[in-house]
Amino acid sequence: MEMQRTNEHAEIAVRHVTMQFRRAHEESSSLKELFINAFRKGQKYETFTALDDVSFTVFKGEVAGIIGTNGSGKSTILKIIAGVLVPTKGKVEADQDKIQLLTLGTGFDPELTGRENVYLNGAMIGYSKKYLDETYEEIVRFAELEGFMDEKVRNYSSGMVSRLGFAIATAQDTPEILILDEVLSVGDLFFRKKSEARIQEMIHGGSTVLIVSHSPSVIRSNCTKAIWIEKGKLEAVGDPQEVCDRYEKMQKGGAG
Amino acid sequence: MERAQKYRQRFFVIQQLTAREIKRKYARSYLGIVWSVLNPLLSMTVLSLIFSQLFRRSIENYPIYYLTGYLLWQMFTGATMAGMTALADNKSLLMKVRIPMDLFILTRAYTSLINLGYSFIAYGIMLAVFRIALNWSALLTPVILILLFSFTVGISYLLATGYVFFGDIRHLYGVALTLWMYCSAIFYPVEQLQGTIRTVIQLNPMYVYIHCFRKAIMEGLPPTGSEWLQMVIWGAGIYLAGYLFFKKSRNRIMQKI
Repeated sequence: MEMQRTNEHAEIAVRHVTMQFRRAHEESSSLKELFINAFRKGQKYETFTALDDVSFTVFKGEVAGIIGTNGSGKSTILKIIAGVLVPTKGKVEADQDKIQLLTLGTGFDPELTGRENVYLNGAMIGYSKKYLDETYEEIVRFAELEGFMDEKVRNYSSGMVSRLGFAIATAQDTPEILILDEVLSVGDLFFRKKSEARIQEMIHGGSTVLIVSHSPSVIRSNCTKAIWIEKGKLEAVGDPQEVCDRYEKMQKGGAG
Repeated sequence: MERAQKYRQRFFVIQQLTAREIKRKYARSYLGIVWSVLNPLLSMTVLSLIFSQLFRRSIENYPIYYLTGYLLWQMFTGATMAGMTALADNKSLLMKVRIPMDLFILTRAYTSLINLGYSFIAYGIMLAVFRIALNWSALLTPVILILLFSFTVGISYLLATGYVFFGDIRHLYGVALTLWMYCSAIFYPVEQLQGTIRTVIQLNPMYVYIHCFRKAIMEGLPPTGSEWLQMVIWGAGIYLAGYLFFKKSRNRIMQKI
């Protein structure tokens, strides 16, 4: 465990967060079943624990990487921090207004053109119309999609889609807390370099950054701290090299 | 100031999502949004061919009578039917974006309202064709529309929340709508019915909205005091009920989805 620092610079404090999803035992949810269940009294639920008593702190200026195998609860903790989900138990202390959550291509609609998607996607991320009007050219330039913007996204290659997604997501002025959900390692090698540089720029802009990735190399090269969550439990927090080594060892030894 | 900005941003999201809905809806047609104008006209023609003879004595300008009811009813059913599945349809988005969930429900309602706006082009033309002379009462129709819209949004909230938990609501609502439509006196005059059924119709909020709208346009008469009261109570009451029900269930919706 890390040294306990004073609370004053804790930008994100996750305290004993437990997240349980309740699922009705019978899959289909119909009115008929509701009646049957009402008579049977006491509905049967299957609880699935996505996060089990997870606590960690991210300090101002830190670049923290959350790592873990698929389905281990990485995205869930991210959504809780970003305020999309409310935890079953425990709480997260963070200033919601400062947080910017970046996910790639959120709500891209294949039937719309690139231009329309920039506005749709940008609106959902939280950009105003004015801001989008101003930065539109820059987004297109960064994504290297000049001349394709009136084309439907359906006709884009997957590389083009992720380039556009990345360009929109990072078009903003650096927010105070930046959360990146599998945003790195996008596109071809050249664009990957460019996008990493952009992220580095944002990191050096003084943001506190939270990166989620299943790739240890992304965490190693970008983070100052690693948080490993496995099967909903906090496995380790600490130096990225150390934590990633352990993570890789587990992966080789385990079923993965 | 911050608050105003927040609401402006929300409205911008709704506009963008609405643009998406409309573009998607007409993605495979040549005429596109023009259908929103043509559809009511065609429907009016069909119904008029059949019923204007039947109701010749009791209804003056049958096509307009029908068209008014039809447009408002379409707005209502379009918004609530689509609003019901709004949360379920946007499942994957909901889990990723930090925008309030109800924007998806509001988007569907707003889409219907925009559609109504286009349909009003057809309505305006027909009013001119039938030489309906408008007086100042027509100025009240936006207020009636706002109240109807608020009622519609309330129902959408209730249905959307309910639908997440019990998928069967969709089928039940489909049947309920049929009954509701026949009880809203859209294509027949309410005067032809007597007794309990007539009372039911006159208590039906959809009938009250349609009736007041018609009266303001076709007869140039404003709604009576009790009609205003009914419209306000239904509009505000159902909106509040829907919104509170949705708000209370929000966390459970998230878990269920």
